[in-house]
Amino acid sequence: IGLACDRGYNPDAVAAMSPAGCPHVSSFKVDNWKQNLRVIYQCFVWSGSAETRKRKAKSCICHMCGAHLNRLHSCLYCVFFACFAKKHIHEHAKSKRHNLAIDLLYGGIYCFMCQDYIYDKDMEQIAKEEQRKAWKMQGMPHYTALVISPRQHSTGEKYSTWEPTKRELELLRHNPKRRRITSNCTIGLRGLINLGNTCFMNCIVQALTHTPLLRDFFLSDRHKCEMQSNSCLVCEMSQLFQEFYSGHRSPHIPFRLLHLVWTHARHLAGYEQQDAHEFLIAALDVLHRHCKDDNGKKANNPNHCNCIIDQIFTGGLQSDVTCQVCHGVSTTIDPFWDISLDLPGSSTPFWPLSPGGDGSALNGESHATGATTLTDCLRRFTRPEHLGSSAKIKCSGCHSYQESTKQLTMKKLPIVACFHLKRFEHSAKLRRKITTYVSFPLELDMTPFMASSKESRMNGQYQLAVDPFNNDNKYSLFAVVNHQGTLESGHYTTFIRQHKDQWFKCDDAIITKASIKDVLDSEG
Amino acid sequence: MNKDSQMRAAINQKLIEMGERERLKELLRTKLVECGWKDQMKAHCKDVIREKGLEHVTVEDLVTEVTPKGRALVPDSVKKELLQRIRAFLAQHATL
Repeated sequence: IGLACDRGYNPDAVAAMSPAGCPHVSSFKVDNWKQNLRVIYQCFVWSGSAETRKRKAKSCICHMCGAHLNRLHSCLYCVFFACFAKKHIHEHAKSKRHNLAIDLLYGGIYCFMCQDYIYDKDMEQIAKEEQRKAWKMQGMPHYTALVISPRQHSTGEKYSTWEPTKRELELLRHNPKRRRITSNCTIGLRGLINLGNTCFMNCIVQALTHTPLLRDFFLSDRHKCEMQSNSCLVCEMSQLFQEFYSGHRSPHIPFRLLHLVWTHARHLAGYEQQDAHEFLIAALDVLHRHCKDDNGKKANNPNHCNCIIDQIFTGGLQSDVTCQVCHGVSTTIDPFWDISLDLPGSSTPFWPLSPGGDGSALNGESHATGATTLTDCLRRFTRPEHLGSSAKIKCSGCHSYQESTKQLTMKKLPIVACFHLKRFEHSAKLRRKITTYVSFPLELDMTPFMASSKESRMNGQYQLAVDPFNNDNKYSLFAVVNHQGTLESGHYTTFIRQHKDQWFKCDDAIITKASIKDVLDSEG
Repeated sequence: MNKDSQMRAAINQKLIEMGERERLKELLRTKLVECGWKDQMKAHCKDVIREKGLEHVTVEDLVTEVTPKGRALVPDSVKKELLQRIRAFLAQHATL
């Protein structure tokens, strides 16, 4: 019901009431009525500015009993506020024959002759415009994050219920086929045929097609292609979503997608097994490039465009290099699409020894207490690292080369965070897969790894005030890509989440139901 | 006006002035959607409309029928959270 309900709007009753409202509004619609009505909305209903809010706070009380509750209404013909619940406004209406009043909470117009709220098209239009204006003025980016799903929505536009335009109604009438999404329907799930070691691509495609924001973007047809040739990967993605949500249950053959990937990311071409993570980065890169061409808004910063890929996947990684001599800090912030984490048992130094001892593979099925967790990996990723005497940095404070420490933290979190566990080791000496089990949670709070948290710690606030109601840094797991086998021959599969709490395993063409335990027990 | 309602009026004024009332309303709206309250109330409204008849039902009818149930169905956790927010706000703006 949302906003519609708030304004006393009963969608089923529209058929009964004429859109022109009631006959009694005609006496109101004279002279400068539109402007007068706007002023009432701006000052007493949806007060957007600090000034109007102050006025509203002071003056909106019942002229008869002084109460500020009880569904205050304002007379539309004179300056008179009164309670509805106690019938004070009714008395005024009767005695002064002022037949119209406005509900100060929700903006609905009440007609005392019709004895009900009325819906006049012109007045509704004004109401909607004023409401939108007030919202924009209030900004409130922190709180709008609670209301709408794209968390970092910078325009501050609030959610409003969809009302179809004439054209949309036309389209709906000409296309009567409807799809009903029930909680157990499998729409959106579809297998992908393996075209010869293409599971590295299939597993990522499954994760992408189940990324809610990406899905919404493509299903609402937001990509307007300006590429001349047929080689736009974004168009192909759009097509892919159509295939996935078509309702067909047979596996899809993504040959066009594969061809486009080979064309645009030549390093991934060929029939040998490739790295899924590399595919993810390459795919995001190509999509980002192809989106940039059609970005309706003028990108004022060519390096950081506003395409859907950037909106969803791009985060900011802060790197602080501290000079050990003068303690001056040099900070850079780099964009990232994924967070690549080193694992215990790799040949990178400074990894604290896990109970597994020499880093040999922990059996994926056992949950040894002390098993490495994702947060362990993140902690390691964000710990200060002494760069050593062989890697001195030129310090602008000391004007010479000094030893320093480097620390990474999250400056800006992406809406969708991709964690890459670096299981494939390609060092000069050896190439191997690290099969150490890493446990990961269903819900992840990134607050401890934020640059802002580090600042708090440095300012002496050791006990971070944990706000359980602040969801800004919290993530929910929705896809897990797993690799079985060895570096030379292996196979990728993906677990994806559907309908809030149902999980499915995608193994190329085969989709099976999975339990949360299956997901969390998997290697990751 | 007794002291209690004076206090209420003063708090209300402050909440409106600082724009906090709007923010609380939004928070409440989200919470009530999340916990399914909105869906429950929508279903109840439909029942009332069916009962009274589409041509004759007024907003007043709905308000009278639906308000007591609406108030009763608000989960305690939501009430608690709103209360906490208001307390925090008052603590910040202690000049009342």
